[in-house]
Amino acid sequence: MAKADVANHLRAGETMTGAEMAIQILSDEGVDAIFGYSGGAILPTYDAVFRWNEVYPDKEIKLLVPANEQGAAFMAAGYSRATGRVGVALVTSGPGATNTVTPVRDAMADSVPMIVICGQVPRAAVGTDAFQEAPVFNVMCSCAKHVFLVKNPDELEATIRTAFYIARSGRPGPVVIDFPKDVQNWEGEFVGAGMLELKGYQARLDRMEQATLPDKKIATFFDMLKVAKRPLIYAGGGIINSNASEELTAFAKKYQVPVVTTLMGIGAIDTTDPLCLHMLGMHGTAYANYAVDDCDFLIAIGARFDDRVAGKADAFAARAKIAHIDIDAAEIGKVKAADWHHVGDAAVALRTLIDAGSDEVITHQAWLDYVQELKEKHRMAYNLESDIIQPQEVLALINEITKGDAIITTGVGQHQMFAAQYFDFKAPRTLLTSGSMGTMGYGLPAAVGAQVGCPDKLVIDVDGDGSIRMNIGEMETCTNYDLPVKVLLLNNQGDGMVVQWQTLYFGSRFSGTDKTLHQKDFVAAAKADGFKFSERVTDRGDLKKVVEAFIAADGPAFLEVMTDAQAFVYPMVGPGLSYKEMLTGPHINGREADPFAELDAADAF
Amino acid sequence: MDQMKKHTISVLVENHFGVLARVSGLFSARGYNISSLCVGETMDPTISRMTVVIRGDDNILFQMMQQLNKLVDVIEVTDLTASSFIERELVLVKVSVDKALRAEVVEIASIFRANVVDVGPDSLTIEVIGAEGKVGACVDMLRPYGIRELVRTGEIAIERAPKRDCSLPV
Repeated sequence: MAKADVANHLRAGETMTGAEMAIQILSDEGVDAIFGYSGGAILPTYDAVFRWNEVYPDKEIKLLVPANEQGAAFMAAGYSRATGRVGVALVTSGPGATNTVTPVRDAMADSVPMIVICGQVPRAAVGTDAFQEAPVFNVMCSCAKHVFLVKNPDELEATIRTAFYIARSGRPGPVVIDFPKDVQNWEGEFVGAGMLELKGYQARLDRMEQATLPDKKIATFFDMLKVAKRPLIYAGGGIINSNASEELTAFAKKYQVPVVTTLMGIGAIDTTDPLCLHMLGMHGTAYANYAVDDCDFLIAIGARFDDRVAGKADAFAARAKIAHIDIDAAEIGKVKAADWHHVGDAAVALRTLIDAGSDEVITHQAWLDYVQELKEKHRMAYNLESDIIQPQEVLALINEITKGDAIITTGVGQHQMFAAQYFDFKAPRTLLTSGSMGTMGYGLPAAVGAQVGCPDKLVIDVDGDGSIRMNIGEMETCTNYDLPVKVLLLNNQGDGMVVQWQTLYFGSRFSGTDKTLHQKDFVAAAKADGFKFSERVTDRGDLKKVVEAFIAADGPAFLEVMTDAQAFVYPMVGPGLSYKEMLTGPHINGREADPFAELDAADAF
Repeated sequence: MDQMKKHTISVLVENHFGVLARVSGLFSARGYNISSLCVGETMDPTISRMTVVIRGDDNILFQMMQQLNKLVDVIEVTDLTASSFIERELVLVKVSVDKALRAEVVEIASIFRANVVDVGPDSLTIEVIGAEGKVGACVDMLRPYGIRELVRTGEIAIERAPKRDCSLPV
């Protein structure tokens, strides 16, 4: 354990239980809300929260109890993503802990800082198949950024502080603390400071933080940018984790480079900015994907060329030189070789590149004009002829009211992609979605967490009838705590995205995805859960009025809109295919010819 | 997996419980079988060294090494394969021998500078120390006599001086 600065903490020297220490440190780390479900092996810590709130009402730690621990950890993740702080879930041993495996893996895959504290059976009983025991350390090892099993009570304090440090630092991620009950009940002297020593991790972090861009490398970058006629920024979730939105926008504007973002990167730059081409990838906008195909210099920042973006890696941005900036060395060259790369924090690197090019006037006017033309020619479009309400029109209608300022959470599937495509996002941390893991049921608990973290913001869960069922117990959590979450259910009576794939690739055999015979009355269910506003819209004539009332409603509100099951998500780049093979569907203009096929690279702009 | 090249990877880790699970989990998650794995304390008792021998595609192994290098408990990862290094393995072989053949087997052992560490009425136990090639050759020579049991430690390895920097780029 590192040397502790004992004098600094007001409570240093006090005798406390392990549970009390844990809560004190949570408060020290800025935690103002805990999402969790009690149980035998975590009782001492729940008791400590209760007593803390009695003694320190001004530093209250709100306790939000979900219907299921999966909900708790997704709430913590939603809180983290919306606020940029570390969300905390507190659950009991065994099933409590294993119910958080999915959100922990989800947070790992999307680089979300989060702490899950699991009660564990007393140390002496660990490994004996005790009641409500699960091998949390082993299970979480493969899913989390790091796991601690607190065996030595003297290391408890340092362990919890270190967990927060690991969750936040470098490429963020979830850290699990397995907290045996007898360590919670143990009494010892509170030190109030100290961390565990992290030899390799700390050295790598230090190296990464000190790795400034050398002049020569900066010069090479600008040589590439100057030679480029069609540069494009490919921005990912790393921009949001690094709080580098301002730098990204400044960089794009200074060097006049258009920006495409990943699903995780949406909001990294205001999507209504003329330089922003919105999302790329499997269901990216046609103009973003065409720009990727056409560009000759791709600057990837905080993005990792994942298979939903670069399904066919060789064909992805095949004409382009590639520059790659990422905080994680393991991502450089993993999918696509980079001609230039830098391992470091995105904000710092962008700031350096903004400052370094101060005298340069770099313009790519012809390319910018061309990109604007792409945006116009291949703009998003959907079926305007149908009598059935289209999911896209519902979102467009809400967007007219929210204008890019709401926090949108989603489940996974068609509604998720429509939300990414049809909402404006003016700021980072406004689209909370399970990107990498694709966990259905993410939206509702994430909205709860986001609303707790951002009580003054409008939070809308855009959900599907498949996804919402996964964590539907959390409807009640909204009303239990009177959280004014707006839950929008786009009900197409099936697992739409899978139906879409079955239509395209499995001869329209809808195995296991048709829900037309399902009986659930969602509106009645929401009412039963205490939603005062709970409506269903089937006719287009009612839509605008009800949507306005839904958004304006005080407190939690639920709206189900029956939508067209035939409304598929386009554009679509099939799995493993190149952007050239993108389907734009019946409503978006595609392009037949490759505009640069005939041109020598030097002649093309 | 076309290129099943042998890689000897040296991993310095914190001497904690759970580290082995994490490191081996990274390989098993991809369905990679570890050919051999040796773990022991270094001169600093808070640090252990794992020597992992694994066969596989160069690019995939490179990726796995980079992912190993992200684990909180991992201090340093080096693929020794690219550098000049010394590898050693200890193998204990129990060979069937009767009186008539004993001298012959002892002679084979001595050619490989292997030691006879136990002798019974109808068996000899031989300790062979060496790199993969030598150990393999010795075992092949003993095989015709009838190997009853064979136990190997797995490979340990150390870089030759002067130490070249083979650590991962950061």
